[in-house]
Amino acid sequence: MDSDTAIGGTHDHFPSTQVSLLEATAAGMASEAMDRVIALYWKPVYRFIRLKFRKNNEDAKDLTQGFFAAALQRDFFARFDPVKAPFRTYLRMAVERFAANDYAAANRLKRGGDIQFEPVGDQAAATASPEQAFEREWQHQLFSLALDDLRAHCDDCGKQLQFLLFQAYDLADAERPSYAELALRHAIPETSVTNYLAWARRMLREFVTERLRGTTSGAQELRVEMRRVWM
Amino acid sequence: MDVSDSVLDHLRHVAALPDLTGTRYELESEMGRGGMGVVYAARDRQLDRRVALKVLDFALAGEAQLIAHLEHPAIVPIYEAGTLGDGRPFYAMKLVSGARLDHYLAQQPTLAECLRVIRRVGEALAFAHSHGIIHRDLKPQNVMVGPFGEVYVMDWGVDAVAGTPAFRAPDDRLDQRSDIFALGALLQFLLYAPAPPALRAIVAKAMSADPAARYRDVPALLADVERFEQGLAIEAWSEPLWHKLRRFGSRNAVLLWLVVAYTFVKFLLFFLRKI
Repeated sequence: MDSDTAIGGTHDHFPSTQVSLLEATAAGMASEAMDRVIALYWKPVYRFIRLKFRKNNEDAKDLTQGFFAAALQRDFFARFDPVKAPFRTYLRMAVERFAANDYAAANRLKRGGDIQFEPVGDQAAATASPEQAFEREWQHQLFSLALDDLRAHCDDCGKQLQFLLFQAYDLADAERPSYAELALRHAIPETSVTNYLAWARRMLREFVTERLRGTTSGAQELRVEMRRVWM
Repeated sequence: MDVSDSVLDHLRHVAALPDLTGTRYELESEMGRGGMGVVYAARDRQLDRRVALKVLDFALAGEAQLIAHLEHPAIVPIYEAGTLGDGRPFYAMKLVSGARLDHYLAQQPTLAECLRVIRRVGEALAFAHSHGIIHRDLKPQNVMVGPFGEVYVMDWGVDAVAGTPAFRAPDDRLDQRSDIFALGALLQFLLYAPAPPALRAIVAKAMSADPAARYRDVPALLADVERFEQGLAIEAWSEPLWHKLRRFGSRNAVLLWLVVAYTFVKFLLFFLRKI
């Protein structure tokens, strides 16, 4: 299988996510709301199309781009009814319909010619259903965005040490250092290490919630999504 | 910032743990998940005792807060309610030891014992209803039976997102009648086949799809259960004549035996006089 894509994964400066999708749409900020959706859902949609429709990298990218371009033009949020389904389900079903119609050929629209490719993913993608892969990719993207928010927040308010500790401990892929090792490394008391980690985790949780709030229809759906993430 | 699967799982775990900074509690272990949050065993450092700490994953309407004011032997006392540093609401409750009702059933309690549990649960519901509070998610996992036979109903007033369908009334809007449905479902859960037809009738009435066809309130349901236990006719079932006679017979066995004995003696004396 050929390379995966990094489109939708750089997500440098996406707008604040204080209000829900419906609130943003009602306030005439549909475009801003769509930016949030694209930031969170570009990769899950791309991965879903690749697995579900067995598309190669280029076709999957075209379809994904085509889908979001069409969604921007077609009053996508106006047709979303939160009573019928959560936004994520609505979006996935819309993608499925779009891809099934093979809209890509007529709607090639590239956003970002300087795309960098990364190897196609993990073993999970090979064994999971397209729907499971979509779900998993959504979680990955959600945390990636929240981690970017956390890092930016730490930079802004001079809490780089907190982020360094968090990175060294909670983002460690290999064996985690002990609290004592971290305390020694940064010449701080061990209790500060635990306090800083607790702070960073609390902030991460808040940023995850913010990202969810910005891509759900309101309090009820947010509650369901939070359960999905944390339970 | 991309994360691997293992880091993602780790983050989901650690960021979900309650931030107890600034509270008097120390986390011990997770006890269970349900309703709208997670229950942890924790230690109250000030009073040096173990408590159950329920951390809700979303701010709730005021109704759940009202539970803290309910004092009833079958309602787990809440010691403290507040908000954690991470914004999540929490309750510190008495740590109840015992078995959840679904596990308790594995001990094969008698029918009389099962009905006693139902009465205790019903009394707690009736008490809460009289204070304008409904349970919303009554199911075996929310009922505990303690080592001394005490019964506790937990997880009050929290509208479960993913409740157990068998115990949830098919009502558009949950109210006291929805709790009556759940109580009927709980009774059904406790009955093992073949259940007496009167009890099955109580279950059927409590679990009517039409809320108006259910018992008007919990005491009405409990009254039927008590009538069944006393061998009286119940409201939920117009029993056939043979069943009435049998019930009369079993309720008045001593009287019937006395009548039979009296008749027999009279009959005997009548013949002895003739000899």
